[in-house]
Amino acid sequence: MPDVKTSQFKSASVKALADSNIQRALGAPFAHFVDGRKSAIDADFTEESWESMRDRAAATKAHTIERLDYYLDLLDKNVRRNGGHVHFANDAAHANQIVLDIAREHDVKTVIKSKSMVSEEMGINAVLEKNGIVPVETDLGEYIIQLAKETPFHLIAPAVHKTKGQVSDLFEKFLDSAPTDDIEKLCIIARDVLRDNFAKADMGISGANFIVAETGTVVLVTNEGNGRMTTSAPRVHVAISGMEKLLPSIEDVSLFLRLLARSATGQRITSYNSFISGPRASTDEDGPEEFHLILVDNGRLNLLKDETLREALSCIRCGACLNHCPVYRKVGGHAYGWVYPGPIGAIVSPMLTGLKQGKDLPYASTLCGSCRDVCPVKIDLPKLLLDLRHKVVKSGAGAMPERLGIRQWHDTMKTRKKLEGKARLGRMLQGLVARKGFITRLPLPVVSGWTKSRDFPALAPRSFAEIWRDDLSGGDRS
Amino acid sequence: MPTPVEDPNKEAFLARVRDALGRTSPIMVTPDHPTLKTTLPRHEEKIRTTKARTEARRSQNVARLESTAIAASWHVHRVSDAEIAANVVAEIASSIHAKNIVRTAEDIFKRVDTDATLRKRGVRSTVLASGRARRKDDLKEIAFKADMGVSGVEYAIAETASCAVFQRKGNARIATLAPPVLALIVEESQVLETLDDFFAIVRFQFLTNRGRLPNYYNFISGPSRTADIEQTLTVGVHGPGEVHMILLASA
Repeated sequence: MPDVKTSQFKSASVKALADSNIQRALGAPFAHFVDGRKSAIDADFTEESWESMRDRAAATKAHTIERLDYYLDLLDKNVRRNGGHVHFANDAAHANQIVLDIAREHDVKTVIKSKSMVSEEMGINAVLEKNGIVPVETDLGEYIIQLAKETPFHLIAPAVHKTKGQVSDLFEKFLDSAPTDDIEKLCIIARDVLRDNFAKADMGISGANFIVAETGTVVLVTNEGNGRMTTSAPRVHVAISGMEKLLPSIEDVSLFLRLLARSATGQRITSYNSFISGPRASTDEDGPEEFHLILVDNGRLNLLKDETLREALSCIRCGACLNHCPVYRKVGGHAYGWVYPGPIGAIVSPMLTGLKQGKDLPYASTLCGSCRDVCPVKIDLPKLLLDLRHKVVKSGAGAMPERLGIRQWHDTMKTRKKLEGKARLGRMLQGLVARKGFITRLPLPVVSGWTKSRDFPALAPRSFAEIWRDDLSGGDRS
Repeated sequence: MPTPVEDPNKEAFLARVRDALGRTSPIMVTPDHPTLKTTLPRHEEKIRTTKARTEARRSQNVARLESTAIAASWHVHRVSDAEIAANVVAEIASSIHAKNIVRTAEDIFKRVDTDATLRKRGVRSTVLASGRARRKDDLKEIAFKADMGVSGVEYAIAETASCAVFQRKGNARIATLAPPVLALIVEESQVLETLDDFFAIVRFQFLTNRGRLPNYYNFISGPSRTADIEQTLTVGVHGPGEVHMILLASA
């Protein structure tokens, strides 16, 4: 598994805010994502019809996840009936071992990879390299960050934080190409290098956008065509997926393709959709002789066990919640410290890698609700984030000042006498800092951070209870 | 081909999933899900009405396909007969100065004789099929060097401008993927209205005769594209950057 740096969210955010490249990348490109999504939806749907699609998708996902054992069994039987192998991997190390075993059996030297977020969870590239196998990412964005030795900045635009100048420098350094600021030329440089790898690779590793249980079909969605290349050119194809990506029937796929393409890239449909149910038939002209599907748990049971957080397993990784999140749009993808950034990452990462180190992530949200409004499968992300905050506090991992504050509050609110006593004390003390009914600067540690950007209303000279008792109740209290 | 064995870890894995869901025993009956529950007779009925609707609305569907295809950056050529279709292929080849073309062995080439028109212009057209004593690696090599690929389709979907290409004998995957320019010949009778129609047909084939359904099929819905560098749209990354849809009126 790659290093989990979720505990460094705050310091990494500070760094990202000061990085002009990251701030530039989080500007215009993301306006493009937001506008593109909206106009693609408006072109074909009314608000009601889009809503009803989201409802149907949410219901389909919930239905499947509540019966995941049934659908996994159905899937396994059907993929094997189609001639494919199915593996159930408990964790990242287990999944890596399965891939290595397949690679050794087929004497694999070069692996080409189409985008797979689960393979990022596994850190499989490092494992392959350690075992003398060369992994090559083929999604252009993934290839760029592989050269840069970074993790994806975004679910569907992994290298969006890189300028064309930086890409040109990377290509010059690793591929010996002439520097250029022409993006089309950069694409051609990458394509030619990747073509060589497609020609010689023995194994292709892909992810899976959806997996259909009834027909045993992996659905793969790419715009570049690297998904098709990865699953066609090598001798062996290994698809790696989280165990939650299932849909019951092939007839469910159209709904999800419609939602995914519009939510992710503002397209009516992604350029290429591949439907893979097994290895090539003996009469087929090309395609892999062997097909493996690895279904990975790697901490997903933690989500499944929790009736509230289970909803996060419905995610189809479109990235819309990132694009619309005011926090992600300032701190970017790397601050979240693991594979999944943004609002969905703030839920999934701590649950998959440990709540204690990831305790700051559920707080990386203003709870504005934009993520929930754009989620194609209607995940109630703010609700889940609040629930996770609750769990952080309950586990005792919450911030010390917050715990002290809440204890004080609890104690104060127990009796009216205590409340009024504390209010009197507060009014006395605030005379030192309150100006015109507001406290604009608190010279105390912890809380001074709060007043740096916000004013706190001062306590009124008399509380409502006091005014009521003395002036308004008409003296008829009995 | 023998059925691969079950993973020994499967039962324990599923038991943990079941446990996490708070259930003690497996589900034994097909769950109540609308797209899974339809029985074969009811599905047959659905296919009959789908086919009738497709037939009745053919001209609207073809018009819709044309407009969604243009929106998705296809070059659309509507042609009235097979001879013109073959000429269009040859003209595209000339426009890009193609020397080597690969094609599949789809049935459409029995109607549209592209080989002859291309030969007249001095362009070599190779059928990308291993049956002609070629190994798979050779197919890759030939396809990577080709200037253009030509194929028929199984279906075209008006809603999304998707051409469904099925893998089978005579249809190499690489033929429609590797060359920088692609021309697909679509017969109007192959045009479906929506994605739902397509998947209903696929499921029908699965339920009635799964052997006919290939292990691999693709939607090609436009040029290969990326916006991975600075969110700037660029076409022709791993697949064709220029795609032509030749819409041929049915005979």
